[in-house]
Amino acid sequence: MGLPSGTRNYTYAQDMAILRTRTHWALFIGFLVLLFGAPLYLSGYWLGVANLIGITLIAATGLNLLVGYCGQLSIGHAGFIAVGAYTTAIFTNRLELPFLVGLIGAGVVAGIVGLIFGIPSVRVKGFYLAITTIAAQFIIIWVINHWSSVTGGFVGIKVPYASIGPLVFRSESSQFYLIFTIAVICTFFAKNLARTRVGRAFIAVRDNDLAAEVMGINLFYYKLLAFFIGCFMAGIAGALLAHWVGFMNAEHFSLTESILYIGMIIIGGLGTTLGPILGVVVIRLLQQVLTIQLVPFLEESLPLPSGFATGVTPMLFGLAIILFLILEPRGLAHRWMLFKSAYRLWPFSY
Amino acid sequence: MAELLQYLTSGLAVGMVYALVALGFVLIWKSSSVANLALGQLVLLSSWFTYGMLVQAKFPAWLGFPLVVLFALALGWIIERFILRPLIAQPILSLITVTLGVAYFIEGVVSFIWPWSVAALPRLFPTEPIRFAGAVVSQEYLWVTFISLVVFGLLTIFFKYHKMGIAMRATADDQLAVQACGIPVTVIFSRSWMFACVVAAVGGVLISSIGGITYGLVETGLKAFSVVILGGLDSFLGAIIAGPIIGLAESLGGGYLTPLTWAGVKDIIPFIIIIIVMLIKPYGLFGETRIERI
Amino acid sequence: MKRKKILVLAVVCLALLLVVLPFASACAAKGPKPGQELKIGMMTPTTGPAAEKGSPMGHANLDAMEYVNTELGGAGGYPIKVLWYDSGYDAAKVATFVKRFIDEGALLFTVASSAEMSWAMELANRAEFPGLASFTAPSLYRPPKHIYGQMPDYGDDWTAFANYYMKNVWKGTGRPKMALELLNNPTGYGARDAAKAMADKLGIDIISTDEHTATTISEMDALTRIKAAKPDVLYISSTPKPTAVILKNARDLGLLTGTTIGLGHAGITKALVDIAGVDVVEGVYGVFPTVNWDDNVPGMAKMTEYVKKLHPNDYGNMDYITSWAQSLIVAEILKNAVKNVGYDKLAKGGVEAYQAIETQGIQKLNYDVAGLHGPAIYTQGDNRLSKSVRVFQIRKGVITPVTNWLEAPMIKYEDFPWFGK
Repeated sequence: MGLPSGTRNYTYAQDMAILRTRTHWALFIGFLVLLFGAPLYLSGYWLGVANLIGITLIAATGLNLLVGYCGQLSIGHAGFIAVGAYTTAIFTNRLELPFLVGLIGAGVVAGIVGLIFGIPSVRVKGFYLAITTIAAQFIIIWVINHWSSVTGGFVGIKVPYASIGPLVFRSESSQFYLIFTIAVICTFFAKNLARTRVGRAFIAVRDNDLAAEVMGINLFYYKLLAFFIGCFMAGIAGALLAHWVGFMNAEHFSLTESILYIGMIIIGGLGTTLGPILGVVVIRLLQQVLTIQLVPFLEESLPLPSGFATGVTPMLFGLAIILFLILEPRGLAHRWMLFKSAYRLWPFSY
Repeated sequence: MAELLQYLTSGLAVGMVYALVALGFVLIWKSSSVANLALGQLVLLSSWFTYGMLVQAKFPAWLGFPLVVLFALALGWIIERFILRPLIAQPILSLITVTLGVAYFIEGVVSFIWPWSVAALPRLFPTEPIRFAGAVVSQEYLWVTFISLVVFGLLTIFFKYHKMGIAMRATADDQLAVQACGIPVTVIFSRSWMFACVVAAVGGVLISSIGGITYGLVETGLKAFSVVILGGLDSFLGAIIAGPIIGLAESLGGGYLTPLTWAGVKDIIPFIIIIIVMLIKPYGLFGETRIERI
Repeated sequence: MKRKKILVLAVVCLALLLVVLPFASACAAKGPKPGQELKIGMMTPTTGPAAEKGSPMGHANLDAMEYVNTELGGAGGYPIKVLWYDSGYDAAKVATFVKRFIDEGALLFTVASSAEMSWAMELANRAEFPGLASFTAPSLYRPPKHIYGQMPDYGDDWTAFANYYMKNVWKGTGRPKMALELLNNPTGYGARDAAKAMADKLGIDIISTDEHTATTISEMDALTRIKAAKPDVLYISSTPKPTAVILKNARDLGLLTGTTIGLGHAGITKALVDIAGVDVVEGVYGVFPTVNWDDNVPGMAKMTEYVKKLHPNDYGNMDYITSWAQSLIVAEILKNAVKNVGYDKLAKGGVEAYQAIETQGIQKLNYDVAGLHGPAIYTQGDNRLSKSVRVFQIRKGVITPVTNWLEAPMIKYEDFPWFGK
């Protein structure tokens, strides 16, 4: 991508820097201040939505590494999130281990489960691979539901508040800091991973895995690594979700949720760091705003029998997905890039 | 022994239901390589439309069913023309996701028009079950089996001998080459969506005659995915064979394994079988193996 | 270029939607007497996988509230302002909506299904925000906290049916053999938990436990196995559609003759009769905690009037009665609370108002619910408000009561080691 005129790089480090100019830094710091100042200006509900967005973002970032960078289609992400959620629940509730152990454990266990279901990816490709991940979704949920001596089964399981030492994340805003610190770390990790040897290997595998293999990339290793990292992040997201809702059963993690995750990263833009952020924010906000604002508004302003407007939510939600994709099939992040390059050259069009 | 026979018959019967829905999925994949995530919702919508025709408008069957077919054709045309056509030549995952949007949209339409959300179709088939050699099978399932075989036969003949069918196969193989030959690809896509909606409608009517019209139809539609992938995404024969395999796996697994493991194992067994099959045959049982070159 | 314009237009429209709606709805929300109202939150799964039940329940909740506000003058003279959202049976939405209710100053919240409440309950318990669920499972209030059940749970259904069966139907000697067919969620497993806790005491042998999904189209395999074990009674705890499929399969296998069938209250509704057919469901027993349509009880006339006026398609659906009653109970709770602590204290909101609702509203309940179901009375340590069920039998397609109200005993599930923590 072109840089604004007058910006030159003299060292490799400068060339590779994510934030290159002072304006970048100013905007970035401004954004972080705005983000972490959110508890000051958001009410409890909107903070809750923000937390949900943060948790979803962590999982979507992982899925984006797996699908967007490495090209391995996974339609079972909610299943891996469930593994993470239940791991931390079992660690902190049943075994009474500290939260941090639960958090890391959740990531590791989900990653390992991801590895197991990722093995078929060595032979199976594209949409055919989707079935092994759908299978993962169903098998994981079935095990959770029936291994009731450990997971609580259909009754569900209680999860204590997250806590680090004496610090207990009780309020919505303290949870916000916890979730978004991890979300920011994950985003940076993903951004940087994509620029390392591993990331380039992922992209090579995605674009043509035969060619990648010929060039000496170990397909087995990198595909499984992508599964591990993607599911590790899903596990972390699951753990945070578990501590956030406090009580859960396996119905939290449905197949529709898994499919929606795929939708989010595609609407946002596959294979970009910005993509999952945009996709998650747009989808989660749409879900909330349509139900919380639009439906009550319609119900109150039109003199029809109560409940008539409920169909509007899924209808507009579907319509929004359709429009986003028809107007920007490469994802919102792509539109953002176009906007940026146009803005850089403005007022000259070339 | 009588039990085994019972498991086999009911497994086959249920499998044909899955196969029927799966055929609609294959149709679209075969011509455009799009995985139709809205399959379940199409099944749901056409079932409700049938309900509207037969129960609400009280049309007789000879008028109601042709109207349902017309409706399905129109639905397929609309979806293709206004939603998928603008996306031709875009990344395939975007096309798949747009069908997710269609799915939500249809769901909204359904709960808008039929907000009471559960209903029963009038009985289409005689209720007396058929018995043979100690096994029992309900006539509903037999009709489903019969109709899916008919649909399968029609589709196979169509794709093998009809000009349009051959053009559809060619499109699936190489869109660019087909366009260069002067075949209108957009018409092909449009037709395949129209046919797929009709198949979904037939499936919808049959399944809802068994278990009524509820949101559950959506997930029955989703089950078709596993059938299709096991059979091979682009193979009608695969769908018609993989359906009964899944049905048998559920039935036999449910029958013999449930006492040994946790309850509900029958919903997992098909997936385990699929994973194993996929490891041996990565393009499904009858799917076309793509030879990859660099 | 044209596409770009459309995109810009779409983005602007969406942005406008996001910005304008909060204001618009805020403006519309202000009634004639701003501030002088009691806010409550209600959620139903009107769309999504549970719409089958959630849709009529949402209608009933709102219709009843309209009735309360227009004809009864609200609760204690204050109009009730309902924040009603469609949860879509989505855990993430439920969690944020509970926070929304708290934010908006709702005094309590209601949900329709046990699943929704299980997603909401820890958030509510943490905030001490009282909640009321129509359909419940023991896990929601064992041990009791701030969550209340409107009606007996799926476990109580099983106990009531088993009691009735032992007293009136079972004529053989020895212990009857019972097979369970359960939906794979708390609806099904609530009954399993009760069976686990009580079967031995009642002298019933549970010979098998099978489960099915809500989308099943054939349960022949499970029923073949069940048939081979020759059960005396088959208990199905599920929703109407799978119950219909199971009953049709059982009919085909000849299981319906000689085996008594019992249903939990999620399954025995008009939809079941419609889907399965009148001949299949003949003689099936079921437990239900409310009255049936057209029963001669005080509250029936108004409810029938409203359903015919507003949602004629829901007439005959028993879930509608459940949620209509739920709204009446909520109004009664608010009335009690206003009477006992005054409007001002409730208007302040926060934990004190919640406690007032709980201790002065819910726990002082003694309400006959216009006869629509068993009286709503709170007893110490038992968060089920109504504890009565009736056993029904389907006769010629009509769901007919065969008993009077039966009190379902409280089971302390948390004392059993197998009950989830």
